[in-house]
Amino acid sequence: MLRYAIRRLLWAIPVLVGVTLVTFILLHIVPGDPALNMLGEHPDPQTVEKLRRQLGLDRPLPQQYWDFLSHAAVGDLGTSYYRKVPVTQLIAQRFPVTATIALSAMAVGAALGLSTGILAGVRHRTFWDTGSMAVALAFISAPIFWTALLAQLLLGFRWGILPISGWEGPIYVVMPALVLGTRYAASIARYTRSSLLEVIRQDYIRTARAKGLGERVIIYRHTLKNALIPVVTIMGLELGGLLTGSILTETIFGIPGLGLLTLDALTSRDMPLVQGTVVFTAFVFVISNLVVDLSYAWLNPRIRYA
Amino acid sequence: MKRLPWLTFTVLTAALLMFTACGGGSPSGTGSETTTADQVLHDWLTTDPKTFDVQGDTTIAVYEMGRNLFSTLLRYKKGSLELEPELLAKMPEISPDGLTYSFELKDGIVASDGTTRLTAHDVLFTIKRMLDPGGNGASPWLFEPIKGAKDFMEGKAQDIPGVIVQDDTHFQIILEAPYAPFLQYLAVPAASIYIESLVTAAGENWATQPVGTGPFYLDSYAPDQKIVLKKNPHYFEAGLPKLDAVEIRIIPDEATGLLDFEKGTFDITSIPDTDFDRITASGKYTILKNDALNTYFFLLNMDNPQFADIRVRQAIAMAIDKEKIVQTLLGGRGSVAHAFVTPGIPGALPAGQGPALPYDPEKAKALVEEAGASGKTITIWQIGKAGDSASNTNLAIQEMLRGIGLELKVEIRDRSAYFEARAKGEIPGYQGNWWADFPDPDNYLWTFFHSSSSQRYSSNYQNPEVDALLEAALVSSDPKERARLYQQVEDIVVGEDVAVVPLYHLQQFRALQPNVKDVVMYQTGLVDYRWTYKESR
Repeated sequence: MLRYAIRRLLWAIPVLVGVTLVTFILLHIVPGDPALNMLGEHPDPQTVEKLRRQLGLDRPLPQQYWDFLSHAAVGDLGTSYYRKVPVTQLIAQRFPVTATIALSAMAVGAALGLSTGILAGVRHRTFWDTGSMAVALAFISAPIFWTALLAQLLLGFRWGILPISGWEGPIYVVMPALVLGTRYAASIARYTRSSLLEVIRQDYIRTARAKGLGERVIIYRHTLKNALIPVVTIMGLELGGLLTGSILTETIFGIPGLGLLTLDALTSRDMPLVQGTVVFTAFVFVISNLVVDLSYAWLNPRIRYA
Repeated sequence: MKRLPWLTFTVLTAALLMFTACGGGSPSGTGSETTTADQVLHDWLTTDPKTFDVQGDTTIAVYEMGRNLFSTLLRYKKGSLELEPELLAKMPEISPDGLTYSFELKDGIVASDGTTRLTAHDVLFTIKRMLDPGGNGASPWLFEPIKGAKDFMEGKAQDIPGVIVQDDTHFQIILEAPYAPFLQYLAVPAASIYIESLVTAAGENWATQPVGTGPFYLDSYAPDQKIVLKKNPHYFEAGLPKLDAVEIRIIPDEATGLLDFEKGTFDITSIPDTDFDRITASGKYTILKNDALNTYFFLLNMDNPQFADIRVRQAIAMAIDKEKIVQTLLGGRGSVAHAFVTPGIPGALPAGQGPALPYDPEKAKALVEEAGASGKTITIWQIGKAGDSASNTNLAIQEMLRGIGLELKVEIRDRSAYFEARAKGEIPGYQGNWWADFPDPDNYLWTFFHSSSSQRYSSNYQNPEVDALLEAALVSSDPKERARLYQQVEDIVVGEDVAVVPLYHLQQFRALQPNVKDVVMYQTGLVDYRWTYKESR
């Protein structure tokens, strides 16, 4: 398994180089000069030239890309045009914030989603099934900005239980985690239910029942582990997405995370910061996919990696 | 690990990160203790200024920080457009030829560190730093009129002969040619005076760890999260500032910021259009209001064939019902623009007067038919943000132009692409706005209509007569003569050539909690807290 993991990590290198090349080309194809963007309402040509020189934008494109790549190879992703701070430092500051939101939201999502999904699957075609699936459908359909606004209005403004926005202590994590988490809970519940129903109809479950095993043992020991494989895949991919920043949630709640940083980098054409966040995002996805693949072996001992 | 259920792992990791990350929110900077005193003003911004170096950025958020952290040689009197000395002991003396300005600094001005003294040498340093060809000065235009500045900017000279330091408090500035708005330039936040030894000591960190002579100092800065400014105990104006601190949170979402204001988290807020009536009618808050120095306009790129026919331009100007836009889209929070320069600026036409063509849809329709342009499509660009007042105004104009037989096509571009095309003179036409950097008609008219500058704003207006008038107004020291020349320019550009259709002037508002007093909002859009204090609620 270790060899498999190392091989996968080595494969990440060409993936990451490819990602940087595509990003670099895209950034230079789309119109928008960072120097002009920085000068805003006063684009005096002499100052534009001065700024372009200072930012290194006057170098030939292949040289710009090579410089980026050779520095990135030794862990230097450049300096943000606007913030004048190394990109790696910015990502290192923002990632813990985003990871906190992501993991809290995933914890909320997993706790609510798995329990609801199991309940709906086990109590198939009862009130619990249809009721919980209807609620899940409502949460999947509700856009984040709406649930966020509702949560802010009720939990923050009316009842004053939680702060409306900001990032100043553990209490500030609760509302965004709930808003994001309930959305994931809804999709996790639906996947868990359908996967559970599929596994529960397998021959080996019927055999277990015939042997007279208790329902609890059948569900938890024999059904759930197998039913979780597709659910874990989905959760892994969603966690990868969450770890690279939820732009909307971070914007609404004023959370200084990776999503907000990426959005800002893109809109202001902060090239080094865009490259840095994209490389980091790709890396997070590679890692989260790897973790998902490796977790299959734990969930189903028949799966082995050579 | 193998037996540890991953869910427990996730929860534990989340909890661990929660404590480190929220603690990690502890701002970088010189101190980070929470301010608990009563005289703490809680404010919020939608965008992080990202830098406090007013020389390197021209956004209003940075300018506002600049006013708190640094001082300029001159400034506007509290809430007015009249200049008064700030770092200077008195208004500068100007030689009869209008070329030599003699300055005297207040004696004994020290930075917020309490020890570093500001001298005339720092003025020279500030000017050189802005003009440095290898530096990051984004507003060199402020000092460009100084003798020798251009050579210095181009790297042809090591010194600027137009700045003469006489002693620690006295210096002279000699201009290349008389330049009427020069004193106004010195009040722009980007012209804040830096102290050389402090800038040098901070090195690369100057942008985020500045030390100045302003009423507040930067106590801490957590990017995209919070800025804490504290009272500068060494500020040179006795009794100011009255506040102990200003805490500014960054909240990108306007609705969230407003909700937090209504909850009482913030003491001051701007008011989104959608909530304006509700907030102002609630009676719960103090509403600050003034006629800001801005003009919203519909600009016609003179190089674009779609506007080549003067009759089409005239028709567009006459088809737009500005009164309706002001009353319905702005809810009356503005006034119809009759000229390009905002009324109230010295030298501008009085409110309600101007050469803009009157609303006359019948005549407009006849002009379109006469020009054979019926059914033609006019294309303009807009920065891609739907639902704001620019989009709404464009939709209204679209409908009005349809009434005279023209189709308006609004193409959406993102900010960077828009600015790049605009600077190259390539935007076919747009609805834009101009907020004055300083209250002088030159800031509007030269920027958009002098042939040396018009391309950068996609106006592409070229008229030797207008160039000559603008140049004459720039060097004239007679305010009446200048006003006459600028009005002549307005007549030609707005009235005869219809290179632009002035639409409206927007008022600006802030809502304050009722216990917050003496917040000064300037017509330039900047808010000043040096006199602000809070009464107990």
